[in-house]
Amino acid sequence: MFLDVLFIGIMIGAIYTLVTIGYSMVYSILKLMNFAHGDVYIFGTFICYTLLGKYHINPFLAILVAAVMGGILASLVEIIAYRRLRSEQHRMISMITALGAAYVIQNCNELEWGNQVLDFPSILSAHTFHFFGMNIPLTQIIILSIAVGLIILFTVFLKYHPYGKAILCVSEDIPTASLMGIPINKTISMVYFIGGMLGVFGGILYSTSYNAVSLSMGFRGTIIAFTAAVIGGIGSLSGALVGGMFLGICENFIGVYVSTSYRDPITFLLLIIVLLVKPTGIMGAVEQSKV
Amino acid sequence: MSLLTAKTIQKKFGGVIALNDVSLTVDKGEIVGMIGPNGSGKTTFINNLSGLYAPTKGQFIFNDEDITGLPAHVITGKGISRTFQNLRVFPNITVLENILIGLHCRIDTSLWDVYARFLKTRRVEHQAKKKAMTVLELAELSDSQGILAKNLPYGKQRLLEICRAIVSDPYLLLLDEPCAGMNPVEMDDLADFIKLLQTKGITVFVIEHNMRFIMSVAQRLIVLANGSKFQEGTPTQIQNDKDVQAIYLGDEGDL
Amino acid sequence: MENIGSNSILNSPKYKAVAYGMLFIVCLLLPKIITNMYYLGIINYIILYTILCMGLNLILGYAGLLSFGHAAFYGLGGYTTAILIKRYGFSFLPCPLLSGVVALLFGILLGLPTRKVRGDYFCLLTIAFGEIFRLVAQAWIGFTNGAMGIVGIPIPSILGWSIRTEADFYYLGLILLAFTYITISLLIHSRFGRAFIAIREDELAASVMGINTAIYKIIVFAIGCFYAGLAGSYLAVYQTTVTPSNFRLEESCLMIIMVIVGGMGSLLAPVAGGIVMTLATEYFRSISEYRMLIIGVIMVAVLLYRPQGIFGTSAFKD
Repeated sequence: MFLDVLFIGIMIGAIYTLVTIGYSMVYSILKLMNFAHGDVYIFGTFICYTLLGKYHINPFLAILVAAVMGGILASLVEIIAYRRLRSEQHRMISMITALGAAYVIQNCNELEWGNQVLDFPSILSAHTFHFFGMNIPLTQIIILSIAVGLIILFTVFLKYHPYGKAILCVSEDIPTASLMGIPINKTISMVYFIGGMLGVFGGILYSTSYNAVSLSMGFRGTIIAFTAAVIGGIGSLSGALVGGMFLGICENFIGVYVSTSYRDPITFLLLIIVLLVKPTGIMGAVEQSKV
Repeated sequence: MSLLTAKTIQKKFGGVIALNDVSLTVDKGEIVGMIGPNGSGKTTFINNLSGLYAPTKGQFIFNDEDITGLPAHVITGKGISRTFQNLRVFPNITVLENILIGLHCRIDTSLWDVYARFLKTRRVEHQAKKKAMTVLELAELSDSQGILAKNLPYGKQRLLEICRAIVSDPYLLLLDEPCAGMNPVEMDDLADFIKLLQTKGITVFVIEHNMRFIMSVAQRLIVLANGSKFQEGTPTQIQNDKDVQAIYLGDEGDL
Repeated sequence: MENIGSNSILNSPKYKAVAYGMLFIVCLLLPKIITNMYYLGIINYIILYTILCMGLNLILGYAGLLSFGHAAFYGLGGYTTAILIKRYGFSFLPCPLLSGVVALLFGILLGLPTRKVRGDYFCLLTIAFGEIFRLVAQAWIGFTNGAMGIVGIPIPSILGWSIRTEADFYYLGLILLAFTYITISLLIHSRFGRAFIAIREDELAASVMGINTAIYKIIVFAIGCFYAGLAGSYLAVYQTTVTPSNFRLEESCLMIIMVIVGGMGSLLAPVAGGIVMTLATEYFRSISEYRMLIIGVIMVAVLLYRPQGIFGTSAFKD
């Protein structure tokens, strides 16, 4: 029982990590809380839902199309709502437009798909494994391996691909990166695109594992992503991983051993405690402000 | 009689030693200048003194009281005011309101006064405004009192920042490169203004890069190099000191 | 933040006295002029939101702290009044004050972390607090009656004046609004108000001015929350019910937009924001499924093209 819960927790954690990466990257570059992140990924998940349920398209194609559309939406939001405000001194202002953008997307999602919980078609087989006394459905193993694979793929991209290096460079210092000849606007759009795509992958995996998708998962996803990012230490890949895993495992244990209706309040409480005890997150470094 | 004594002040940032055993005294009524190449730790010294950082080691004695490591707002209350190297007036409020914020620690209105004794509060506010106006008149800024601070010309913003610091009647005024970005005329005006402050009984400690300015203002100079005190003396002594010239060569042209 | 000497006629005390006097009379006679209950009801909601926004404006416009938890404090006030009256048989008279104080105490509690937590993390804290409040209100069925909320709050009466009609509620609202305006005005025109502005403009410089920024941030946050509690108390008796869905995050956002639309950091701007946004919501009621879309577009558009707000001063625009 304990190991079962732990395994599912790890799977959820891996999915949360996917969702958190995009969020954390945006934060590390622009210091912007991207409130629209969750609504973007739920948009992608809904697209996948429609493609699978209505048009019966090949699942791999459907996932790919949904991810690309999520990515495009994410970069559109950046271009329309955030880009003009990047030079604004008060970051509060772009935070509020971010929330406005989230509202617009959420409302559009609601108009198209409503606010009820929808049955997400199961893509994977329901075969169950017995392994060291655990009962693990094949689905969970596949989901976990896809999530881990994507995380590894993204890490490799960031470390070795020229575009990945450009992203790292921009996140260090925008003016310097610009002087080095890195196209800032393009790179930032790319960050949003990749972040949105990873988010959609996370959303689809999550929906597959629970066979459900609903509008409210969007905002919850934003909060989860931010919470995980902060808990782990915002702006770093390892932070996203630690935070996502921590949150996924904790949540699953609380849900099973305490009560599902107190799952979210306890999650938020955890966040508050982490912020109070170690505001920079578990993996975060101390920042000294310059006078 | 010494107003401020710094004893073996040391400040480390991680492994980097920004200040190493700096000891100095400032006497009442003096104008003391601190010079040194970029990165020699001048601003770090002021930041430690004014409570923005706490020194790793050492002591600041001010008016016979140990003020080492107290928070910035307490130190201001004890009578040390400062300005910043990179101009920090409050941009979106008026010149007069800027000065009134500078008076914060000299107004003792409590929340109880605000709500229950509002007539008294009003009287206090009125007096504060009067006091602020006298300072603005001293700096010839009284015509601009209603202008938003960010709309003042640069030189006047510098002056405003100094006014905001002296309105609370500090014993010691710390100026961090006050004439950065000023033209020569504005610089001469500023020098006169600082000397005027001295006649009002304010002790001034000034960091500056511009040699012409610091020579004309300061009565005593302290040279900082690589975080340590390197030399101390009158402006003429420092000007003729071969070692001081050596550390400045290639860094500052106008010595 | 009046511009001193900007307009000599408008600033002369005689003109001000006459203008305030006329405004006062108009406010008193308004229910006699507008007899349509529907319109009066809208005006009551405007008053309610104006009180909320004046409190939020202290936090957001003056001190520059972004709080997404205002609806939770509004809710704390609402539940306090509802529970005190329904469960403990209190009369209405002490309830607004007690509700305000409960919100104030929670405000202090949530304000404490501002010492350690930087700007956007604080914003996240307020979101988390707001969600915890709503989820607990939903889950703690024994005390708050869960998602159904507390219904049937009896008609309040103050010293024999039973508040029954829309006009009665209008006067009650007016009293609370006047109290809010006067107390905030006193605070803003003291060294406290200036300290809040200094913190918004440049926190480090503010600390060097002798302002204990940590304490002042807690003070401004808690006082702002007090007014939310006050408004919550009004809502409880006006609506006769309080439910968790009254106090969703969306409500906090609506208040933030009202403050922004009105213009942050000026005393009367929340009134303008409250009027414009309440009327707009009312006007768009027929297409309520687009409500959030419209709110979102207004949020983005106002900040992109007029960040100082429709009626605001130049604060925040550089």
